[in-house]
Amino acid sequence: MQASSVSTHALLCPSLAYTHRNLQSSAFHGVSFRPAFRSFSHSSGGDRRRSLTVLAAAKKAVAVLKGNSNVEGVVTLTQEEGGPTTVNVRITGLTPGLHGFHLHEYGDTTNGCISTGPHFNPNNLTHGAPEDEIRHAGDLGNIIANADGVAEATIVDNQIPLSGPNSVVGRALVVHELEDDLGKGGHELSLSTGNAGGRLACGVVGLTPV
Amino acid sequence: MEFPLLRTASSITLAATAAAPSSRLATWAFSSSCFSHPSNSSLFSKTQNLLFSTPSRTTRHFHPFMGSTSRHPAALHMEAPTSQQNDGVLPELLTEFMVDMKCEGCANAVKNKLQTVNGVTNIEVDLKNQVVRILGTSSVKVLTESLEQTGQKARLIGQGVPEDFLISAAVAEFKGPEIFGVVRFAQVSMELARIEANFSGLSAGKHAWSINEFGDLTRGAASTGNLFNPKIEGIVNTPLGDLGTLEADEKKEAIFTGVKQNLRVADLIGRSVVLYQTEDTSEAGIEAAVIARSAGVGENYKKLCTCDGTIIWESTSNDFVTAKF
Repeated sequence: MQASSVSTHALLCPSLAYTHRNLQSSAFHGVSFRPAFRSFSHSSGGDRRRSLTVLAAAKKAVAVLKGNSNVEGVVTLTQEEGGPTTVNVRITGLTPGLHGFHLHEYGDTTNGCISTGPHFNPNNLTHGAPEDEIRHAGDLGNIIANADGVAEATIVDNQIPLSGPNSVVGRALVVHELEDDLGKGGHELSLSTGNAGGRLACGVVGLTPV
Repeated sequence: MEFPLLRTASSITLAATAAAPSSRLATWAFSSSCFSHPSNSSLFSKTQNLLFSTPSRTTRHFHPFMGSTSRHPAALHMEAPTSQQNDGVLPELLTEFMVDMKCEGCANAVKNKLQTVNGVTNIEVDLKNQVVRILGTSSVKVLTESLEQTGQKARLIGQGVPEDFLISAAVAEFKGPEIFGVVRFAQVSMELARIEANFSGLSAGKHAWSINEFGDLTRGAASTGNLFNPKIEGIVNTPLGDLGTLEADEKKEAIFTGVKQNLRVADLIGRSVVLYQTEDTSEAGIEAAVIARSAGVGENYKKLCTCDGTIIWESTSNDFVTAKF
């Protein structure tokens, strides 16, 4: 597992592993000591932050996207052992053209876009294109709807595994109103959301039999 | 920025109900900078930013999962009819709300109101960040109603426990068009999870409900597979995913608060909650919802949807934009 390969400090307080600003702040070191202490007696619990791991051998997943409008679709995700994840998208009811397509950290939509949290971003990077090095794991770029409002796409991506600590299962896929500028639009939102406008539809990634 | 802990410690108000054992008092400390950059919330919103000094607990009472119709003590004063409640006291849990408090008076009103709620052990009001954290056994429904009675908007933003074992919270949301509902799961200990559910649009009478092995809704409840049934020592007859029966009242509403032994929330992610027409789970369910990851305490302080500028108070589960097609 990934957890065993990182330093003790990162294991016990994993946010330190990728949050430079935390590292620079001495106050945070103090914070990390306490959880560190207790973790020894609960080693089976593993990494606190990343413990929400899907234990089932999920190699296929599906999300049914729905919204208030007539936008709906099905997204299937498949992953071969250790390989990239293939995302098959078919969404209907869209306006012709480009629409941002993202994976958010949580699948909780009880409070709309807010409870889904930010784009899934385990490495704390800024927003980008799927092919960029600097991107959120959840940045899946744009899907393109044809004149009939149907978007069909196959996305192959390395950052959205179906198992392990960064599993996408249980998170939300969201299709947006506007085009994602892929972090390059110069808008104040470009580097966080791609300025892709409101949500048209979303769906939680669920397990499905292989 | 350099000493966020020291700085924010003074801006945090701790309040404890008279009945609160002092050992339950938790010292809270977290970085206020989480709140000033909503778009960066993931940077700071880790649980690790919270410091707990709660002494470890010696005993914990486990209650078997019960489908009884008696009421939770904390729910006795509720006006809404509750069709199904657990009669055991719920295990203690930390529930985090964002509350639209704008002044010291509002914060005090919130604190005073919550102190009257049965089951509340500890209240922490952070006016600056508009966050209220409640430690106690009260149900989410009771807490939400109490907060709303103060006239201020409240949104649940996280659930967890001030302990060091697996912390996780999950939610399954039924989005209609007929049946609406929210089911929340929160891990209380390695062996116990709290379940709270409310439904509307469910035909009056008894309905079985379950956790099924798949979260595949391509054919609705029909594609969710069988009841979730992991091998657990000592449990032979009943699948773990069998949640028993809900009873919807004449208003087509059903409420459940309870706990379930051996349920690990992390194992449920990506599976589904399924509702049935009758008490029989052998027929296909009538509606299903995927069990999704939701934020633990201190993990999601997002207040603003940067995609469309919606702020938390305006936001509901239905804040989709309508496609212009």
